[in-house]
Amino acid sequence: MSTKRLFRVLLVAALSSTSLATAAYAFQEAPMLAEEVKAGALPPVDQRLPLRPTVMQTEGTGAYGGTWHRAYKGPGDRWGPTKLMEERVVKFSQNDAGGLDLVPGYIESYSVNDNATEFTFTLLEGLKWSDGEPVTTEDVRFWYEDVFSNKDILPSVDTIYAPGGKPLAVEIVDERTFKVKFEKSYIYFLTILAKDSTGEPSLDRASFVMPAHYLKKFHPKYTPEADLAAAVKEKGLEKWTDLWGSKGPITAWNMNPDLPVITAWKVTVPPPADVMVMERNPYYYAVDAEGNQLPYIDRIEHTLFESQETFNLMSVQGQIDMQQRYANTGDFTFYKENETKGGFHVLKWINAETWSLIPNYNVKDEVLAGLLAKEQVRQALSVSIDRDTINELVFAGLGESRAASPVTGSPYYNADLESHWTAYDPDLANQLLDEAGLTERDDAGFRLRPDGQRLTLVVEANDGSRSNVLELVRANWEEVGIELQPRIIDRTQFDSNRDNNDFAVQYTSFDRLSVTAADPRLLLGDDSYANQWYVWYETKGASGIEPPADHPIRSMWAAWDKASTSATLADADAAMNEAIATFVNQGFVIGLVGETPALVIVKDSVANVADGLVNDDVTRGEGLARPQQFYFKQ
Amino acid sequence: MLGFIGRRAFWALVTLAFVSFISFVIIQLPPGDYVTAYAAQLRHGGEYITATQEAILREQFGLNDPILIQYWRWISNIILRGDFGRSLEWNAPVSELIWDRLALTLFISSLTMVFTWAIAIPVGIYSATRQYSVFDYIFTVGGFIGKGVPDFMLALILMWLGYAYLNMDVGGLFSPEYRAAPWSTDKALDMLAHLWVPVVILATGGAAGLIRVMRANMLDELQQPYVETAYAQGLSERQVVWRYPVRVALNPFISTVGWALPALFSGDVITAVVLNLPTTGPLLLKALQMQDMYLAGSFILILSVFTIVGTLISDVLLAWSDPRIRFA
Repeated sequence: MSTKRLFRVLLVAALSSTSLATAAYAFQEAPMLAEEVKAGALPPVDQRLPLRPTVMQTEGTGAYGGTWHRAYKGPGDRWGPTKLMEERVVKFSQNDAGGLDLVPGYIESYSVNDNATEFTFTLLEGLKWSDGEPVTTEDVRFWYEDVFSNKDILPSVDTIYAPGGKPLAVEIVDERTFKVKFEKSYIYFLTILAKDSTGEPSLDRASFVMPAHYLKKFHPKYTPEADLAAAVKEKGLEKWTDLWGSKGPITAWNMNPDLPVITAWKVTVPPPADVMVMERNPYYYAVDAEGNQLPYIDRIEHTLFESQETFNLMSVQGQIDMQQRYANTGDFTFYKENETKGGFHVLKWINAETWSLIPNYNVKDEVLAGLLAKEQVRQALSVSIDRDTINELVFAGLGESRAASPVTGSPYYNADLESHWTAYDPDLANQLLDEAGLTERDDAGFRLRPDGQRLTLVVEANDGSRSNVLELVRANWEEVGIELQPRIIDRTQFDSNRDNNDFAVQYTSFDRLSVTAADPRLLLGDDSYANQWYVWYETKGASGIEPPADHPIRSMWAAWDKASTSATLADADAAMNEAIATFVNQGFVIGLVGETPALVIVKDSVANVADGLVNDDVTRGEGLARPQQFYFKQ
Repeated sequence: MLGFIGRRAFWALVTLAFVSFISFVIIQLPPGDYVTAYAAQLRHGGEYITATQEAILREQFGLNDPILIQYWRWISNIILRGDFGRSLEWNAPVSELIWDRLALTLFISSLTMVFTWAIAIPVGIYSATRQYSVFDYIFTVGGFIGKGVPDFMLALILMWLGYAYLNMDVGGLFSPEYRAAPWSTDKALDMLAHLWVPVVILATGGAAGLIRVMRANMLDELQQPYVETAYAQGLSERQVVWRYPVRVALNPFISTVGWALPALFSGDVITAVVLNLPTTGPLLLKALQMQDMYLAGSFILILSVFTIVGTLISDVLLAWSDPRIRFA
């Protein structure tokens, strides 16, 4: 399957780079741009597009125009607007069979050498920034030498760009071609690029390219100190590095309308305005199959809101043209009841997550840690829960009972793993707990731990709406003699309890279960069931807690080390699957209900929005639907 | 009088210095800092940044420095340069953020205040002079309900009724087509069509309490011998009531002008969040939630200034309106 996938990727790449090369017809453009061309403010469309533009797959050929209304929560919600139009050298695309492929973005082609240490990319010929300047490997060189390798701007490089501690190296071949080199094989680099691009400080920008002609004005290597100081002062900042980074007022695309971009839209009214506005980029590089320059939609307006009720009211009043982000699964009935009145319909994408109870295997309470280390106890905690009832009562029957394992549509999906320890069987649970030696009970019928205390698990959740799940689990566990004490706490407190290793069990979403290889940290224990062990693993023993010598988590780490240094996708995926199987079979995390629908509000006038997509941070949320090809029916 | 104001001004400065420090510290008391809150917010939406990225942000924002140094950096800029610093969350100067929203906030809250008083004073007087009449009972019941129902709940109910049965465009101050548009006559008219909802909601909550205060004060005054004397002199009821007991009963209103001033500035926070009003209230709430300490700290500092100035004004007003009160 993996080889087939790779083949399909290459096929798509080949198709998109050649299909229009022989096309004889002219390109078309949006009426609002045609007017500007007529007025002489813009060059004609075939001079703005690359020589052979990328052909984006569309659900159907669309029509130009319109303003897309949606809602956002301010600059902290930068990913909402960003994910609509992220550009990568390769991006995920969901095929008709539901699988995920990598398709090239603004590059003509790419290739990987035999041992996957060298990745060669060729930029589209005639690719341009939104101000009309050409995109060349000078922009790549600038990003690599003056930004990525500059310690003032980027003090430390994330490990995903520095496998084995040595950061990636870039070699410029010619004006359009560049190579990225690693010391070790790293076939998952493409997957990483599709998710995280090239990381900080261009976290949400195109991979590898930064507009050198514009940004040099803000870099001490190219600009005299006095000019730089003036720019810093104008923005009310203290030092030149404040201009940079993902929150810098110069390099953050959403704050700076002057920053040249290659995305389909660019910001024209930045926050803190109550309505953030983005307008089409006349130089966008992609076209549809008929040669119409994308995007179809002229403008996007993001209205600021704060409370969920406001968002829901906006939706049912028909003030949202298309939005998945913030549409709440629990409000499904409310949306459905008002579909006709608001003139919209609700699509169901699949959340790549399982709502789970996450026990802490590094818990400071040693007796409890000892109990959780027993497989019987873990299995008993899992099979004593009636997942179907939780699904019916809390998720309106929209999700499914499942373990925390890769979801449908993921290349690592496995039906056996999905149902591991999920069948409701309180008798088995009682028997397992007895076998584990927890036979003593107190007056109230709760089991006693080896130290004579009642077996109590404090379960934390970070939102009041989660309390009903905890209540159902409490009743289930009481039947097998385990006490659950629910705690609803603030989400910052929730996170810091985990960072400080100060929790027994947390109830939260276990996500990123689509293309797990793009971000396997959660699976390996990070920010989750074994945070301290993971710290030990990541820091190579410098800090954190060392797991027992024969602990199965070590074999998961070994499998990941192998996967991340494989030369072929087949080897890498085999090792990845091994890590996943160990994780699920050990039952480290108690998955309850998952594959819940991600609701999408779509106005009836909006077309080309696909149904049934995988919704995940890895697949970039709404971006997977390719908003560039959404359009308003005339 | 001048000596009085001078003494008060001195103590006001001391109080302000104290408040600014305490609030800056309290904002940062919850676990973590702005970056922790930011990461938690992202995680809530299913997005993740790595520990390295968090460390870079923390370094960029200077959050690793001791709290005293952070405080000094903030307060010295305010005193020496009038610069309130930059909001970490909004990535923009604090003064710009507040200023942008201030005009609408002041407009809505002053309108609400006028509306509140316009309801509370006549109704309170009527209830007191016609004690235990049918209307007094109706106003009393209505007043207790208005006081008992939280404003945000009332807002939600009204919005739902407006949407479900009246086909009104609810939420926000503008219809979608005017939100991004520059100011025009049409936009102003559109705002007026939306404005009555927040004003009614906020005024009912406020008026309910004031009616009770007004009624109680009036009842106290109406028992006084001087009222009887006035009647005995042959004055009409209208002359007696409006000229004497009402003036005395208004004292509590005047002494609360001091609290009205900061309330004008921040508006009602929760209701504004529910109604999605572009006022300063939601800005403050979010700043506190996110530990955006420069924005939240400056906000509280400005609120404190208003409270102190407001108290001073109400003291002076009280002395002016009621000759019995003398400066101690």
